[in-house]
Amino acid sequence: MMRAVLPLFLLHLAGATEEPPQKPGLPGEPSPGLALFRWQWHEVEAPYLVALWILVASLAKIVFHLSRKVTSLVPESCLLILLGLVLGGIVLAVAKKAEYQLEPGTFFLFLLPPIVLDSGYFMPSRLFFDNLGAILTYAVVGTLWNAFTTGAALWGLQQAGLVAPRVQAGFLDFLLFGSLISAVDPVAVLAVFEEVHVNETLFIIVFGESLLNDAVTVVLYKVCNSFVEMGSANVQATDYLKGVASLFVVSLGGAAVGLVFAFLLALTTRFTKRVRIIEPLLVFLLAYAAYLTAEMASLSAILAVTMCGLGCKKYVEANISHKSRTAVKYTMKTLASCAETVIFMLLGISAVDSSKWAWDSGLVLGTLVFILFFRALGVVLQTWVLNQFRLVPLDKIDQVVMSYGGLRGAVAFALVILLDRTKVPAKDYFVATTIVVVFFTVIVQGLTIKPLVKWLKVKRSEHHKPTLNQELHEHTFDHILAAVEDVVGHHGYHYWRDRWEQFDKKYLSQLLMRRSAYRIRDQIWDVYYRLNIRDAISFVDQGGHVLSSAGLTLPSMPSRNSVAETSVTNLLRESGSGACLDLQVIDTVRSGRDREDAAMHHLLCGGLYKPRRRYKASCSRHFISEDAQERQDKEIFQQNMKRRLESFKSTKHNICFTKSKLRPRKSGRRKEGVANAEAPNGKPPRDLGFQDTAAVILTVESDDDEESDSSETEKEDDEGIIFVARATSEVLQEGKVSGSLEVCPSPRIIPPSPTCAEKELPWKSGHGDLAVYVSSETTKIVPVDMQTGWNQSISSLESLASPPCTQAQTLTCLPRNPLDAEEPQAPLHLPSDPRPSFAFPPSLAKAGRSHSESSADIPQQQELQPLMGHKDRTHLSPGTANSHWCIQFNRGSRL
Amino acid sequence: AAGSISGLYVLHKEGDHEDLAPQLIPLDYTSCPDVKVPYELIGSMPELKDNPFRQRIAQVFSDDGDGHMTLNNFLDMFSVMSEMAPRDLKAYYAFKIYDFNNDDYICAWDLEQTVTKLTRGELSAEEVSLVCEKVLDEADGDHDGRLSLEDFQNMILRAPDFLSTFHIRI
Repeated sequence: MMRAVLPLFLLHLAGATEEPPQKPGLPGEPSPGLALFRWQWHEVEAPYLVALWILVASLAKIVFHLSRKVTSLVPESCLLILLGLVLGGIVLAVAKKAEYQLEPGTFFLFLLPPIVLDSGYFMPSRLFFDNLGAILTYAVVGTLWNAFTTGAALWGLQQAGLVAPRVQAGFLDFLLFGSLISAVDPVAVLAVFEEVHVNETLFIIVFGESLLNDAVTVVLYKVCNSFVEMGSANVQATDYLKGVASLFVVSLGGAAVGLVFAFLLALTTRFTKRVRIIEPLLVFLLAYAAYLTAEMASLSAILAVTMCGLGCKKYVEANISHKSRTAVKYTMKTLASCAETVIFMLLGISAVDSSKWAWDSGLVLGTLVFILFFRALGVVLQTWVLNQFRLVPLDKIDQVVMSYGGLRGAVAFALVILLDRTKVPAKDYFVATTIVVVFFTVIVQGLTIKPLVKWLKVKRSEHHKPTLNQELHEHTFDHILAAVEDVVGHHGYHYWRDRWEQFDKKYLSQLLMRRSAYRIRDQIWDVYYRLNIRDAISFVDQGGHVLSSAGLTLPSMPSRNSVAETSVTNLLRESGSGACLDLQVIDTVRSGRDREDAAMHHLLCGGLYKPRRRYKASCSRHFISEDAQERQDKEIFQQNMKRRLESFKSTKHNICFTKSKLRPRKSGRRKEGVANAEAPNGKPPRDLGFQDTAAVILTVESDDDEESDSSETEKEDDEGIIFVARATSEVLQEGKVSGSLEVCPSPRIIPPSPTCAEKELPWKSGHGDLAVYVSSETTKIVPVDMQTGWNQSISSLESLASPPCTQAQTLTCLPRNPLDAEEPQAPLHLPSDPRPSFAFPPSLAKAGRSHSESSADIPQQQELQPLMGHKDRTHLSPGTANSHWCIQFNRGSRL
Repeated sequence: AAGSISGLYVLHKEGDHEDLAPQLIPLDYTSCPDVKVPYELIGSMPELKDNPFRQRIAQVFSDDGDGHMTLNNFLDMFSVMSEMAPRDLKAYYAFKIYDFNNDDYICAWDLEQTVTKLTRGELSAEEVSLVCEKVLDEADGDHDGRLSLEDFQNMILRAPDFLSTFHIRI
């Protein structure tokens, strides 16, 4: 399907881009007077074309991602190059000459900086510096090795007569070619490795190499180029020395420029308190200035921007406001992704221009073989040396991936285009060879590296957020190791890091960070803070009904074995009624213990937004309204929590009530039972529940929403629930994965979003044995004033697992709208009723939670474990900041 | 004995530590190997001045927990920190370092000590205790409100990079 659509689509686009140039003929005639309509193509041509190209690239990206299958197999860079080829062909066919190619000037001045800045700024600095030795070795020694061996081998090939004699190149020419073809390209590496997800160490080594080898490439290229231009006869011995010296000048100079600008940037952002709005701009401007300055001084610009991003991040992040941080992040990602897309597309287009290149099979094949072979050889040799010094040696598989991951890309292409044909007569051959090499590495290696990684079982990266423990231990271990090194008197890595951190703490941070930011800079607190925020958000995302559900399922756990528990949840989820919201939440939300977290961070909430915190820091006169809004949101959030707590209470009682009444009844009349149960309570809990959900979602969703909107949303939510309730089976079949927050209230949509919860607290899922403990913990966080209701519900729930499944359904039906209560009823039963009385099909439960409903057939056994891990992780309603909750972390008492 | 001597030798030979405690070293090492370097000396080393864990490390590795280290203690430390040391041993000693009150459990109080040290006292008491609760909560496998060695190992094994980097190259 893609195949059919794409060409058409492209044709259309190409037409769009092609058309404008033809038009300007129109206004050529002398106009008789005031022109009613004037066509001024030439005045807008350049920016218009730029915009069009970017648009084309973006649209192409969208098209690619329409099919998940294609993008999961083929890296985007490959698709873009192929698209570029097609577009280039069209341009060539229409315009009869090649246009819109990758110009080295454009590439180096505009396209490359965003990518490098993005990668430098978001580079995991700890990881980078941990592996700095290896990265530098590969970048410097490896690149030199590749350049010289490839160049020499090609020269040898020519001497052996395997390269056609029309390729007029001497040793220096081949060396020049070797220097430009040998460098691993950051853009290509990033594009491919981003999708492969190898482990972080491997990634940072390959990627760091590709960034840092820029200096070496630049120097080698320039030196060789000037040697070639001088002619080999004129090269003096001192020139070689100068070449070596310039390596240091270019690399260290580039890094220094970057650090200077990083310092300036950090310092500037310290004083932007009253003009928050320009903060993101400053980041980009100064980083770009660093790039241009380095370029101007013919230092390594890539290195400069990398160091700038790396160096400033810590301080800038602390100084600028929360929103600016988001803005910086997104803008950077957007720019980088945009530039990357355009680069690959233009690369494809440029390859079409046959006037530029001349083919020689011997040279092309020889180059391909040599770069692969010498890359592998170089990696093996260097790794062998490095492993003598590394704490964690790189194993064979790592080496294979590193060798194979040495992708060449646009940098090589731009450099080869820059060659002077008069000085390098074989330029056309080199261009052709470079294009083939780039295409081969990006397309063939890019395509195969994923299967290779899978096949070799390379350790993948696990994306998990740091737990507080990790953060804590990491710090502690660092200190311990530094201390031990000190005691030993050995100035190792930890020693230097310790020194640096002290220096940073004493001087740099004081100088570059605001006082307020400095105060909360403490990382542990930071992590804690982030964890809590995330917990809170995910909690709210899960919908507001957590409360009742938590009350429902959790208490049953202690008494049942794991299977029974799962089935309870399943059962409840199966019934897909309004209240089902909660049930999905149950498994998507994390451990029961997280309820403590929840309660705790709501306790904290009060404290968090008060003075001394970041929100205080970002408070300024100009933006007071914004911040007020933010705080207001928080307040709304808290109020909602409070209200919800109340509704929870009432629901609780109702449930118990219902329970006892329902027991003897038949399933058909359960509805009435519910209604009855609600009656005694003044306010129908369901409404409250909805209101709460709506409001809560509002607050978190968008900061700008007013409270007044809540009523509307409320209605919408109601409708949404009705709809979903009816369409349960439908949705089930679709097995659609949508974790969108907006539709949160719909019960069926939540379960697919467990990703949310799983992502949020992945370490939680590590517990296989969790469920066992929950029991003891469950009863601990009970609102003091709700103890009785709680206990009742516990007892009622323990009986809940044994009675027929429909029973539970009633419970879950509670919060539905009375109006819909009748109608949706029938469809609702569909999923659950057909089952034998008390089936508790675990497979289905799993289906609901795992992303594909269709996978219901998978043996339940496998799925049970994770289920257990999650199921109890409901947040009990986070009490508000107040003392409604009696949180007993029983450790104190037991100790 | 030769090893012990080299241990002390290392301590005293390197750079700044040269005159750390020359008077403590007997002329005849082998006859009295029980020379102790008092903690006051270790703790006052300029490099260690800022290290929050200096005292704790000395205490853990010293014989009687007073921070005075003998040659053998130094050697123990090296062997724990060496690449050859098994993970369990490393985990055990890391655990001991956390266990400030030596009750074989990391309790909230222990963690508070750690956090306070790590944050250099910049967090308020309330914040510290909140963080500690969360930390405990994350790792507390058996829900007894404190971390046993087993909890600690489980937690640490989940992030395999921890212990693999928990050594120094001497």
